Amino acid sequence: MIPVHVQKWAAWAPGHEDAQAWRGWCAEPRPLAAEGRPEASFLPALLRRRCSALTRIMLTVAFDCCEPEQRARVGSVFASRHGNINESIELLERLAQQLPLSPTRFSHSVHNAQAGLFSIAAGNRRASSSIAAEAETFACGYLEALTFLEREPESPVLLVMADVPLSAAFAGLVDEPVTSYGLGLLLASEGPGTRLDFGIGAGGSAAPRTPWPDALEFLRWLESPEPRLALGTGPRRFEWAKPV
Amino acid sequence: MPRMATRSCSLAALGMVNALGRHPDEIWPRLLRGDQSGFRAREDLVPGRALVVAEVAGELPAVPDRLRHYACRNNSLTLAALEQIEKPISDLIQAVGRQRIGVVMGTSTSGVSDAEIAIRHRVETGSLARSFHYAQLEFGGVAGFVAELLGLAGPAYTISTACSSGARALVSARSLLALGVCDAVIAGATDSLCGLTTNGFAALQVLSAGITNPSSLRRDGLTLGEGSALFLVTPEAGGIQLCGVGESSEAHHMSAPDPDGLGAEHAMRGALADARLRPEQIAYLNLHGTGTSLNDRMESSAIARVFGVSPACSSTKSLVGHTLGAAGAMEAGFCWLVLHEASAGEIAPIPHVYDGELDPELLGLRLAAPGLRAPAGPVMTNSFGFGGNNCTLILAGSPA
Repeated sequence: MIPVHVQKWAAWAPGHEDAQAWRGWCAEPRPLAAEGRPEASFLPALLRRRCSALTRIMLTVAFDCCEPEQRARVGSVFASRHGNINESIELLERLAQQLPLSPTRFSHSVHNAQAGLFSIAAGNRRASSSIAAEAETFACGYLEALTFLEREPESPVLLVMADVPLSAAFAGLVDEPVTSYGLGLLLASEGPGTRLDFGIGAGGSAAPRTPWPDALEFLRWLESPEPRLALGTGPRRFEWAKPV
Repeated sequence: MPRMATRSCSLAALGMVNALGRHPDEIWPRLLRGDQSGFRAREDLVPGRALVVAEVAGELPAVPDRLRHYACRNNSLTLAALEQIEKPISDLIQAVGRQRIGVVMGTSTSGVSDAEIAIRHRVETGSLARSFHYAQLEFGGVAGFVAELLGLAGPAYTISTACSSGARALVSARSLLALGVCDAVIAGATDSLCGLTTNGFAALQVLSAGITNPSSLRRDGLTLGEGSALFLVTPEAGGIQLCGVGESSEAHHMSAPDPDGLGAEHAMRGALADARLRPEQIAYLNLHGTGTSLNDRMESSAIARVFGVSPACSSTKSLVGHTLGAAGAMEAGFCWLVLHEASAGEIAPIPHVYDGELDPELLGLRLAAPGLRAPAGPVMTNSFGFGGNNCTLILAGSPA
C-alpha cells in the first residue's frame, strides 16, 4: 500500500458550496442536483465570462483546496471522465454543417484546458497532468497524483476531479450518476492531514455502486470512521485504508 | 514516500505506425533518408482547402467484434502498433500476470473522427449513427481498449495534455513502476487525423500551406499527422532506458507558448538534472520543431540558454507531420531507434529536412544534415503542448 497525507479537501456541487454543507452531506449522503455552476468570483471578470460550468467547478475547488501561497507551487492533476466533450460536440455540430470553428473555442475544448487555465490564473509553472479513465477516472486520477509524489516527494500535489452531465446529444449513453460536481484533494508525502494507504487489487465481486460519483463516495468515506474503502466494478479494485 | 534506490526504466520493446510505415524496420531507413513521401493532400478535412497531411495510408487492422464499442480509427492505429509487440507482451503476461501490467496512453483526439460521422448523422437525421459508442470517443477509452483487448487488470488510464500527452504517458509509466503498483506498463500514444483538429488548427491559422518547413526563414506553420507509438516499459536495468524526465507549465496562454521559452528551458533542465547529465553529454536532440515561428524561436532560445550550442538536432515533423497527442511517444520512439541502431560507438542523428534557408534568429542550432554520424550518447526529445504543458524526456543506453 502507498501512504499519502490528505492535507486539505474542497468540494462543490449545486447547493453544496462549503465545508459545513459537505459535512452535512457526508453524514447523510443523497443524490445531488444535475445542473449548476459556482460563482467563481475570484476569477477576473473577463476570464470568468468565458468559463464553462466545468471550468468554474474545477478552478473553484482548486483554489479552495490551496492556501494562496501554495497555488503557484503545487503540482496538479486534473481528472475528468468527460472533460470538455460537450464543447467538442458543439464544434462537431458546426463541422457537420460546414461552419467555421472559433479558434478560442477550439483551444478551450482540449482535455487539459482547465489545467492550462489554472496555471494561468494561479501563476503556476509546475508539472501538470490531465487524465481520463472511463468509470475509473477518480481512482486513476488519485494514482496519477501519487506518481507526482513519486517524482517530487517534497512537493504537495493538487488533485481535481470534476464532471458535468453530457449534453443532449449524448445523454443516456453512459450509465452513471448525472451530477455536476468537483472534488479537490491536496496530497502530500508527509506532514499534517489524514494518512491514507492506497493499493490496487483484483476485482471480481463488484463493489456496490453509489448513486453519487466515486469522488464523493471517497469524500463521504474520508469524513467517516470507516477504516476501508473499495471502488471499482471491473477487473481491478482500488482500495484505501486509514491506518490505525 | 519511499523512493526506490535504483529507478531503472527499460523501454523494452517498441511498436510504431505513422505516415512513413507500419513498423520501425520500415520507418527507420525512411527517417534517415529524409523521406517526405508520407504527405498527401486531402480535400475532405477542411472545407474549400486541399490540406496536406501525413496520413497512415491503406487498411488498418480491425478492432475485434467483441470490442466493437471501441471500434474506431484511433484504436485501429493503436492495434497496428500493438500487434508488433504482441510476443513480448504475452511473455510478460505469463511471467508477471495480468493484474500487474498497467496501461498509460496519450491522445488528443481519441476516436473523434468516428464521432464526427455519428454527429453528422444526428444533425441530418436526429439520431446518432448506430455504430457509435461513447467508449470510442471518451479519452479514457484509448487506454481502456488496450487493457480490455489484452485482458489486463492493472491500472489503465489516458493522459490528454495536448502535444505533450505521449511524453507524459512514459513519465507516468516510469513512476508506476517505481511506486511498485505495476511490474510492467504498456505506455505510448495514438492520434488520428480528423475534422476537429484540422479545422481547429486552421481556425488558429497555424497550418502550413504545404509540408511544414521547421527552422526555415520561409516556414509557414505546422502540418498535421497521425500514428501510434507504444512501448513495453519494465523496471529492468540495461537496454534502452528512460533516464530523465522534465516537466513544466507555462502560466502564459492557452494556445501560444511563452516567447521567452522559460517553460521549455525548465523542462530541459529538469530532464538533465533527473538524468544527472550535463548538457554537453546529449548526443542528439529531437526538437518539438512544429514549424511555427513562435515555437521555433522560443524553443531555440531555450536551447541556447541550456546548451550554448545545441547537440545535433532535428525536427521529425517534416517527415511524419505533427501527430499532436501521439508526438511525444512517437518522437521518443525515434530517439529509441537512434539508440537502437547505434553501431561502433556512433549514432546516426535523424536529418532535419527543410528548405535549407535557416532563420538567422535561431542561434546555436546544429541541425543534423543527412548522413551525419555522431559519437553515441544519451538523446533528448522535447514536447510542448497547448495549455502550456511541457515535457522533455532523455533516453540512454543500447539494445539489451
